[in-house]
Amino acid sequence: MLRLSEFQESARIAWDSLRVNLLRSILTTAGIVVGVVLVVLMGWTIGGLNAVWEQTISIIGKDMLYIDKWDWTGGRNWRDVESRKDISLQQAALLKSRMESAEYVIPLARKWGGSVVKGNSSLMCSITGTTADYANTSAATTLAGRFFSPTEEHSADRVVVIGHGVYKSLYPDGNAVGSILKINGSPFRIIGVLQKQGFLFMDFIDNQVFIPMMAFRAVHGFFDRSFSVGLKCGSEAMLDIVRTEAIGHMRAIRNVPPDAPDDFSINEMKAFDQQAKNIRIGIWVVGMGLTILAFVVGSIGIMNIMYVSVTERTKEIGIRKAIGARRGSILAQFLIESALLCMAGALIAFPIAQGIVAGARFLAVDVLEQEWASVISPLIPLDLLGIAVVVSIIVGLLAGFLPALRASRLDPVEALRYEQ
Amino acid sequence: MSTAIIDIEHVVKRYEMGDEEVYALRDVSLTIGSNEYVAIMGPSGSGKSTLMNMLGCLDTPTSGKYLFNGANVAEMNDDDLASIRNKEIGFVFQTFNLLPRATSLKNVELPLVYAGVSAEERTRRAQEALARVQLSDRMGHKPNELSGGQRQRVAIARAIVTAPSIILADEPTGNLDTKTGHDIMNLFRDLWKAGNTVILVTHEEDIAQHARRIIRLRDGRIESDITNHNHA
Repeated sequence: MLRLSEFQESARIAWDSLRVNLLRSILTTAGIVVGVVLVVLMGWTIGGLNAVWEQTISIIGKDMLYIDKWDWTGGRNWRDVESRKDISLQQAALLKSRMESAEYVIPLARKWGGSVVKGNSSLMCSITGTTADYANTSAATTLAGRFFSPTEEHSADRVVVIGHGVYKSLYPDGNAVGSILKINGSPFRIIGVLQKQGFLFMDFIDNQVFIPMMAFRAVHGFFDRSFSVGLKCGSEAMLDIVRTEAIGHMRAIRNVPPDAPDDFSINEMKAFDQQAKNIRIGIWVVGMGLTILAFVVGSIGIMNIMYVSVTERTKEIGIRKAIGARRGSILAQFLIESALLCMAGALIAFPIAQGIVAGARFLAVDVLEQEWASVISPLIPLDLLGIAVVVSIIVGLLAGFLPALRASRLDPVEALRYEQ
Repeated sequence: MSTAIIDIEHVVKRYEMGDEEVYALRDVSLTIGSNEYVAIMGPSGSGKSTLMNMLGCLDTPTSGKYLFNGANVAEMNDDDLASIRNKEIGFVFQTFNLLPRATSLKNVELPLVYAGVSAEERTRRAQEALARVQLSDRMGHKPNELSGGQRQRVAIARAIVTAPSIILADEPTGNLDTKTGHDIMNLFRDLWKAGNTVILVTHEEDIAQHARRIIRLRDGRIESDITNHNHA
């Protein structure tokens, strides 16, 4: 057993020797510094992505189901989906009249690849016709103005609520509400601007405008169009109940034989979870690869310098052995030195990683004005620091083991005779 | 002569140098008792360094028996040997062998660190040991701030701080001028008179003359073992 007095002595010696060779020590830890910086950055990035993703799906609505002809994630055979019959507005209306568990049943007509024109500039975006009920979904939260009312819906007023992406593109100076946009030649008055909803690969969501369903028919028509039906469930707990009920009604409405599969898809935000997860895994794999590489390179450097240290101090090892240091004491002395060296690397890495994190966030939020990035923490979480310290100590112990073992096994007579 | 601390019987130490076998010690038998003052002499190559390493438990014999206070050193493992060196043997080297970055006090404390003595006790005993070698005023100095004689006295303080069974000095005056060497030899005499067992290894006749018993080695064998009646 290593005695406490020996442990303290070892720590003191280790500290002394690091201090005496300060520059060498710092240079030696470069690989460890890079490794720790990478670990911390990776952890922070994944944490930030999670926060952004959470934000996205909570704004778009975790309690929403969408009945579509299409499957959002394209999980099914494309030909099967292609050959499905369109969902008609009549079917949507029937579903609305039969649904009991959903808070709102909201038909949607979409024109992908449509465009809006402001003065001389035109912008590609999708045009969505819907009902005033849409105002009750979390996705309809407005940054300015309001969503259209039932009255405006019923009288097919030419009013439009624009998505955040459209707003940013066409009204960089603000003041969109009250302005006129032309959709397929017809003038629409902007009455609202939606808040930012989609982050990461979801930002196409912000590139759409909402108009009353009947106004949509006037500009783009209902011919050859498949409608979507949004179902607001009220809470995530209701998703399963609403889904089951909707499937039953839709099968009845569309006369699906009992043994045939559904000829429609029920989509929800969760469908994108897998994609978000894949991104995280991708970052993790790349980050881990780089981190391991940095730690391997770093630990080779540490091992090398520890061999140098053992050789330089052969005489000292001999003296210590002569006056009673056991193998374990010498082993511990060099392991502690190596671990301290790596821990010093971790301590150097923290301010660097924190600087990069703060700089990246500043760049995203304040320079590039990506306000979505503001949900990402500007500080490195403490548990990441803890993990980095523990990992660096373990790397130090591993890298220092062979040199320490050699030191502990030196023959005292030989070691005492050693002269530099 | 009283009870035997060291009892060596028919000890052989053989080294392999390539294909050749070199005998550093051939059949050496020797007994050293408590409170003896022994000088081991011999020209270089006589085996005196090997014998000293053996006596100091830094090395073990190829064959033969070595009883230290009755325990068989030849059968001990590294850690047992370290423990014997720590508690029973105080080394004094020709080149002092102090840790260069540690103060006198820390150097003297070092054996107590490996003995697991508490910090307070260590400091107290190290201060006592330094007082015995008249270096109480140099406790905070590092070796490079001390003269050769002072360094050797720090080394002696380190050797006696654990109250060992023997003090083993290898050419302790070899790096010192005559006057300083004389002072150091007086210090050994005082330690011996205070009841310590002192073993000197030297090739200098006048240094050996300080001892009460002189053992001469030649070609790995004891050539003579005499009581010195003219000791200084």
